[in-house]
Amino acid sequence: MIRLRSLRARLLLTVSIATLLVWGAAGVGSYYQALHEAEELMDGQLSQSAKLLMSMVPPDSDNLETENSPVKSFSDNVSHPYEQPLEFRILDRSGRVLLQSSHAPKQVLPTPTDDKPVFADINHDGQPWRMMSIRSPDGRYLVHIAHPIKDRDRVGLEVAGQVALPILLALPLLALLVYVSVRRSLKPLEKLANDVATRSPDNLEILSDPQTLREAQPLVAALNRLLTRLAATLDNERRFTADAAHELRTPLAAVKIQAQVALASIGPGSNLADHQHALRQVLAGADRATRLVEQLLRLARLDPLARLPQSHQIDLAALAASVVSDMQTQAINKQQQLTFIAPASAIGTISVQGDADLLGVALRNLVENALRYTPAAGVIEVCADIDAQQPELSVRDSGPGVDETEAPRLLERFYRGQAVANAADSNGSGLGLAIVQRIAELHAARLIIENRVGGGLEVRLRWL
Amino acid sequence: MRVLLVEDDPLLGDGVRAGLKLADYAVDWVRDGEAGRLALLDQVYDACVLDLGLPRRDGLSLLKDLRGRGNTTPVLILTARDTSADKVAGLDAGADDYLVKPFDLAELQARLRALIRRASGAASPTLSHAGVVLDPAGKRVSLDGLPVALSAREFVLLHDLLSHKNRIRARAELEESLYAWGEEAESNTVEVYIHHLRKKFGAEFIRTVRGLGYVVGEVG
Repeated sequence: MIRLRSLRARLLLTVSIATLLVWGAAGVGSYYQALHEAEELMDGQLSQSAKLLMSMVPPDSDNLETENSPVKSFSDNVSHPYEQPLEFRILDRSGRVLLQSSHAPKQVLPTPTDDKPVFADINHDGQPWRMMSIRSPDGRYLVHIAHPIKDRDRVGLEVAGQVALPILLALPLLALLVYVSVRRSLKPLEKLANDVATRSPDNLEILSDPQTLREAQPLVAALNRLLTRLAATLDNERRFTADAAHELRTPLAAVKIQAQVALASIGPGSNLADHQHALRQVLAGADRATRLVEQLLRLARLDPLARLPQSHQIDLAALAASVVSDMQTQAINKQQQLTFIAPASAIGTISVQGDADLLGVALRNLVENALRYTPAAGVIEVCADIDAQQPELSVRDSGPGVDETEAPRLLERFYRGQAVANAADSNGSGLGLAIVQRIAELHAARLIIENRVGGGLEVRLRWL
Repeated sequence: MRVLLVEDDPLLGDGVRAGLKLADYAVDWVRDGEAGRLALLDQVYDACVLDLGLPRRDGLSLLKDLRGRGNTTPVLILTARDTSADKVAGLDAGADDYLVKPFDLAELQARLRALIRRASGAASPTLSHAGVVLDPAGKRVSLDGLPVALSAREFVLLHDLLSHKNRIRARAELEESLYAWGEEAESNTVEVYIHHLRKKFGAEFIRTVRGLGYVVGEVG
């Protein structure tokens, strides 16, 4: 079956079919009803005519046979459309014909047992006739009387036609009305479609149309919610791209200026140490720009993910231990003590579903932050534990902690805390915690940043 | 010439400081807006190089605070934003000039020279008095049209005195112009360089105002 995509065509078709069905049913119903009524009416006429005939038979029936010549049929010279041709026979008890019309049908109907007449449809001269047989009240005669059915059928058809015809005539009008009304009703939808068509990444204004159909209002509301979300997302993207470009400018400016300083420090009276220092700074600047680009790419890949691309069983204690061992050299270079702590019961028993690579990145970012902002001779602990039945990874340092007022801003992209100004190595991209936060979201974990009671910062990844 | 550099980025700050030192500026480098504000309260600088994105107090707020106190130190802002709205905001907040990162060292030096020159009230790129002409950009000095060779410190001192023509410069002010924070100054350095300059340009070129300092030109 063809599914109609157009509301207009569907409505038109449905209404037309329904109307046709009603029309058909009304026509057929009226036809049969009229037929039945006409039959009753004509049967009554037959009965009346029979009784009239019988009353005309003289009490002494024997006289009838003497005049044994057929009576002229009533079927000739009909003067009214509904005047029925009528044929009859009067028989005595033995079945002998006493009197009959000229074309009277010869069929003999079963003798009625009592006063009730017997009716039957018969074939007479190749046409259907209605025939009735009735007994005289004294039981001496039997009257057979018949007329053609043709008129009865004509009455049925005429009545049925008169009932059905107006409906048939109304059908095109109805279709036209439906068409116009649907067309008018769909106007607001078309306007809505035009409105939506004008929306683009540059124009995500919400749709406002007080004349929108009530039925379309949920659609408009949903579209507006979508537009609002889209606008917010796009806005974020644009800001992020702009921020990213600006963030790259600072290391580039540093590389450029250091390279120019290096160039200027060649020549008479210049200092070789200054020259080398400037060149090393050029390299450091390139490293930092590279790191920033890597972090940007990582975020760009993580941002659109709705869920983890792959997920396996991960032993958190083993993961933490391996990150700690990987980063020992960095810690030693910064004269810091980096240790892994886990209760004996936790070894091999804390497992989560997730992506080991991403969790490794998150933990490394947290440890790097701790190494960066903790002064020399600091202590950094990486812990894997189960707290209130929930797996938890945490990184604690003995650094300065964070100011209460700036804690909420730490997760902002490119935000670098006050500690950055004081840190010896402030090569952070400002994206580290944003990346950790995104990885935490993908693992259904929470990132919690708190100052420790005795000083220092504790950052926890807590599974929900 | 003493310049305050307010820059939180260690690599860029280090580079700008080294670059300005190459041009014989004494550079004080602070890494956040609040430290910058305090340094400007505490010291007189010939110019300030100010980054806008700073921790603790952003550059614009520092600038407004500075101008609000009536301080007219020439300020050159460094910005990563290159839209005109950002530049307008910087200039309206009281900046004298701006540079968009990444910038050229030579351009930074030239713009600073221009700022300092304008601040001293001179429109000409060279400073002159009694036949002595100093060209800050070319680092050349001439006496009656003939070039005179000066050491870097002598040049800085002469530049300072000519920039403040007809005004008395205290010994401490001249010392600050010669040395950045943390650089050891010997007790009689200023006297030594004044002596050298007098030998080259004549004893009357720089006059001593007893108890107050030194001056080039007339004391008004």
